[in-house]
Amino acid sequence: MSKFLLLAFRNVFRNRRRTVMTLVMVAGGVAGLLLAGGYFRSMTDGLRENTIRNGLGHIQIFNAEHFQRDEIRVLDTGIDDWRQASTRVSSIAHVRGVAPRIEFYGMVSNGQKSSVYMGSAVDPNAERSLGFTPNLIEGRDLDQSGEEVGALIGKGLARSMNAKVGDGLTLLAVTSDGALNGIDVQVAGIVQTGAAELDARYMRIPLVSAQRLLQSNRVTNLVVGLDSTSNTDRVYRELVPRLAGLPQRLELRKWIDLATYYKQVRNMFDGIFLFMGVIVFFMVLMSSVNTLLMSMFERTREIGSMLAMGTPHFWIVAMFMAEAGVLGLFGAVIGVLVGNLAGSLINWLDFRLPPPPGFTVGIPFHVVHVPAIMIGASLLVIVSLILASTLPALRASRLRITEALAHV
Amino acid sequence: MDSLVMAERVSRSFPLDHSEVRALNEVNLQVATGEFLAIAGPSGSGKTTLLNLIGCIDSPTSGRILLDGRDTSRLTRKQTAELRRQRIGFVFQSFNLIPVFTALENVEYPLLLCEMSAKERRKRAAEALECVGLSPRAAQRPDLLSGGERQRVAVARAIVHRPALVLADEPTANLDTQNATQLIDLMRELNRNLGLTFIFSTHDQRLLEHTPRIVRLCDGRVVSDSTVGTPGDVQAAMKGDGHEQVLAACLS
Repeated sequence: MSKFLLLAFRNVFRNRRRTVMTLVMVAGGVAGLLLAGGYFRSMTDGLRENTIRNGLGHIQIFNAEHFQRDEIRVLDTGIDDWRQASTRVSSIAHVRGVAPRIEFYGMVSNGQKSSVYMGSAVDPNAERSLGFTPNLIEGRDLDQSGEEVGALIGKGLARSMNAKVGDGLTLLAVTSDGALNGIDVQVAGIVQTGAAELDARYMRIPLVSAQRLLQSNRVTNLVVGLDSTSNTDRVYRELVPRLAGLPQRLELRKWIDLATYYKQVRNMFDGIFLFMGVIVFFMVLMSSVNTLLMSMFERTREIGSMLAMGTPHFWIVAMFMAEAGVLGLFGAVIGVLVGNLAGSLINWLDFRLPPPPGFTVGIPFHVVHVPAIMIGASLLVIVSLILASTLPALRASRLRITEALAHV
Repeated sequence: MDSLVMAERVSRSFPLDHSEVRALNEVNLQVATGEFLAIAGPSGSGKTTLLNLIGCIDSPTSGRILLDGRDTSRLTRKQTAELRRQRIGFVFQSFNLIPVFTALENVEYPLLLCEMSAKERRKRAAEALECVGLSPRAAQRPDLLSGGERQRVAVARAIVHRPALVLADEPTANLDTQNATQLIDLMRELNRNLGLTFIFSTHDQRLLEHTPRIVRLCDGRVVSDSTVGTPGDVQAAMKGDGHEQVLAACLS
């Protein structure tokens, strides 16, 4: 068998020019896939971390009823003893912190005009410790030390309410027992989220102020931040039994279950990458069929004499496939080397793409070296070449010996 | 002596456009084990076709060929491949060595098909190369060997697995006279020393001087089958009935 593989190996380099041309094509395909896949991965990785750090967290904990029915009143399906749950979660390794949140809504008024808001109540210190900082364009972040109740409002809401940093506003909301309540807040800062619809309704106040407004000690959910996104599954597995003993049944959601936009973007990139893979696959397949057929025709008499000597037909098929496999392997290795070198060079040069609509900063053109893409792209071209070899291999094995020996 | 090859009323036709060309016509031939036989005749007389049929790389249109008493027309494709692998050695006109293998590796090839151990393969291939006097050139690839050397490698490859029968189709056609004579002498020596049966085709009359049995073909028919002992007998046979029969058949 080793001799047979040696024969296949040496046959690959019989016609050096043709082999080099095929290798260039195969390696180019692999390198292209590595660069495109690495860039897409860098984009999706960046989006993932942004999504998590923009407040989604790695894991969120809810009252199990939250997923079973709609709230009739605010915090109807909130978490009662969230401090105990928070303590239990914090004691697990890789957990950086736990941030309680309340999602609520109501009316905001400046005495002359009212508008609807979508409120989010947070513990500013917990949020800051997890790196969940809002994108302030004016003013400062929330602070619980002052006497005044601070609030962050969206850019659109600030414009519609004609509110500036330091202005007072009144928030109205329906309490957990159905009554109407209100508190006065002072605009501490103005935020731009990136989404105009959200900016027109955005309102963020400290957790304790919201609990006073809503007359409830509950929170909507707990957001868990980890030291690394890669630890999400591990912590999730540990959290499930740790929270099982609490009086209220809680349910957990990983960030991936909540990051709808991220999933849509990733699916789009996956689709584009798959399409590129298909193009490379057929490019290698179509051009290699021709090359391998030429190689077969050139060796017709040699194949005829091998068959005359009693070489089994499947050996001939296997020989051509092994040659294609060796060629694919070489192309893949060269492609992986070239792709990684080019990726490293691009990273070193620190290219930036023009900012997309709504952004002011260009997107870095960064290529991530992904072993799975290296293996996948290599397998793709090897399989493509082996498939391309089936036609010449079968034709060679079916040659009539007498005609093959008479071939000039 | 035992009959190794027996051709009984063998015919072979090839389709050509809307007609048929009959390359062999009712040929009868019997070859005993250990014989050294030349098939002679002009181009197109059917020499290669007959060798192809005896070598089981082609099938007769009618008639049958028995090898070791087995009717080759009844064998499956797999069985004929196995028969060729084990019982027949081939020497081709254009050497047909594998260009990416060295001389030694080329000689090893038939043993590779027999799935022999690497050590045994190398030993036997080296012995075969020794037999043809090419041990010093064992590591050379065919493109670095002369025509005569290449054909001797091809002979070594044909005998390395100790076949019962060696078929050589115009083995000297691409060689000069000196190399051609040396090759036929080598084959004759192997025939005598190893008891191998050789059947080769040629249209070179000078080489037939070294051949004890000559079967002459013309237009697909056997026109003479003469057995002679010495080169003088061959010359006599060439001058005598056989040669005249060939001429007569060709002219007719």
